[in-house]
Amino acid sequence: MLEAVARTLQANGAFRAICRPIASTWVNLAGYRRLGLRYDDLLREETPIIQEAISRLNREEIDLRNYRHRRAFQLSLSHQELPGPQWTKPEDDVQYLQPLIEEVSQEYSERDAFNSMTSVRK
Amino acid sequence: MLRSKAAIAKLGALRTYASVSSGVAPTVLSTANGIKVAATEGHPDSPLASVSLVINHGSRFETASTSGAAHYLKAFGFRNTQDRTSFRTVREAELNGATLTAEATRENITYTVQCFRDALPYFVDILGDIAAATKFSEHEFRDIAKLVKFEALGARENPQARVLDGVHQAAFRNGLGNSLYALDSSPVSTGDAVRQYAQSAMQSGRVAVVATGVDSATLAALVAESKLAELTNENAVSAPKAKFTGGQHQIYESASPVSHYALAFESDPSSASALASLLGAQRRLKWGAGASPLAKLAFTEGFAAESFSFAYSDAALVGVVVSAPAAHIKSAVEKVAGVIQASVAKASPEAVARAVAATRLDIAEAQSTQQGVIRDLSKLALNQGPLSLKTVDGVAASLAQTAAKVFSAKPVAASIGLSQTTAYVDTLGF
Repeated sequence: MLEAVARTLQANGAFRAICRPIASTWVNLAGYRRLGLRYDDLLREETPIIQEAISRLNREEIDLRNYRHRRAFQLSLSHQELPGPQWTKPEDDVQYLQPLIEEVSQEYSERDAFNSMTSVRK
Repeated sequence: MLRSKAAIAKLGALRTYASVSSGVAPTVLSTANGIKVAATEGHPDSPLASVSLVINHGSRFETASTSGAAHYLKAFGFRNTQDRTSFRTVREAELNGATLTAEATRENITYTVQCFRDALPYFVDILGDIAAATKFSEHEFRDIAKLVKFEALGARENPQARVLDGVHQAAFRNGLGNSLYALDSSPVSTGDAVRQYAQSAMQSGRVAVVATGVDSATLAALVAESKLAELTNENAVSAPKAKFTGGQHQIYESASPVSHYALAFESDPSSASALASLLGAQRRLKWGAGASPLAKLAFTEGFAAESFSFAYSDAALVGVVVSAPAAHIKSAVEKVAGVIQASVAKASPEAVARAVAATRLDIAEAQSTQQGVIRDLSKLALNQGPLSLKTVDGVAASLAQTAAKVFSAKPVAASIGLSQTTAYVDTLGF
């Protein structure tokens, strides 16, 4: 069902135009941008795949990610939000981790495929 | 039992598995974009084959900003590419029973696959991937940097390797004088830096594909189908011409009780190995010292002397590494220099005959292994003057004159040990 929606979204420009305002309202309501986070900061990181993906980030990206996390924890503890101008801007909310996660999960499934293969002698 | 002459002649005509067919030089073909391809069929009954990607961009092409990059590029062989992960390359090589190796010399970086004949097309494809689509990603670089550092430290631990590296530095300063290993001071610190070096390396005019167990035409067709066909020759850099300079490279090492001293002379590439045999410092016999004056000297005085030769496309070094207790290194080197001047530079016809025979044997032995054949083929394809029995026969007649000329010129030296106890080139009387 969700995949069908995603396919239509990619193919159909009119449908995309209808969905976009709803989607951005949804994301703004989620509230993570008010704490200065990006969407990829919220991904559950306690899995081997995401751990590996995070270890492949470069030093600067790791530092910025840790900084965003600590700032968000602090804000959450003190029941505050960042001042409006410091909220994460939609154009800054980029998928910096997702491509790495896809790369690593492909490698993992390749590894599984090799580990469970049967070799056929021709 | 003695074999009859006819039987011996027949034996001589037999070709063993990996030997180059006698007399007929393998043809070097060129693909549409200028990649050199050379192969020898080998024995038709042998199922063995090998294929190598040879890149004429070894450490002699490094500059101050890329020092050590060749070592990293070697270590990046068979890593992740756009189409294949290195995991898959390795697993599929294992399933094929193939061996993947990478080797770096001062001139060439070579990635070799040894496999069965029927798997050859697949591995040519993989070599094409390496040349055109390696990712050089940062997380791989971090893994590779550990390996490279380990190899460099290992080479540092080996005084023979270190002193030979040092003698290259003394002889050529830069270019051929660059170290084979990425030193701690290497400015290469990212995958991107290695990618840039690789981009200047993977120029179709600098690349050769050599193989055994297949003929040149088939190999050329396989290369044309692989990613190697995408390589261009846009901004090929030419090698800085090697220039032999004088000097001495001293590595201060007070901890070791043994000192090592390499003394090297300039020679031309074709006669270097014959001259090394003429020095003949290592014993070829299990008992006794043999007939070579240097071996006799080392045997009676109780130190080690080993001759070496390095032949490159436009320069060559020939010389001897002397290893002796730190207190005796000076007298040992002076005696070795004396023997070189008195006996080796004035070699008798018998000594020359012995040296030529030994060199012929060395070359024949090297040519009977797959590795030796690959090395010869890559030198042939990249026009780096491969050694053959014919070249030895060519220099044999004038070897005594060549020796007189080479061994009376001023040598270069590298030494590991105390600078107080070592010998210096300008006091050796050359």
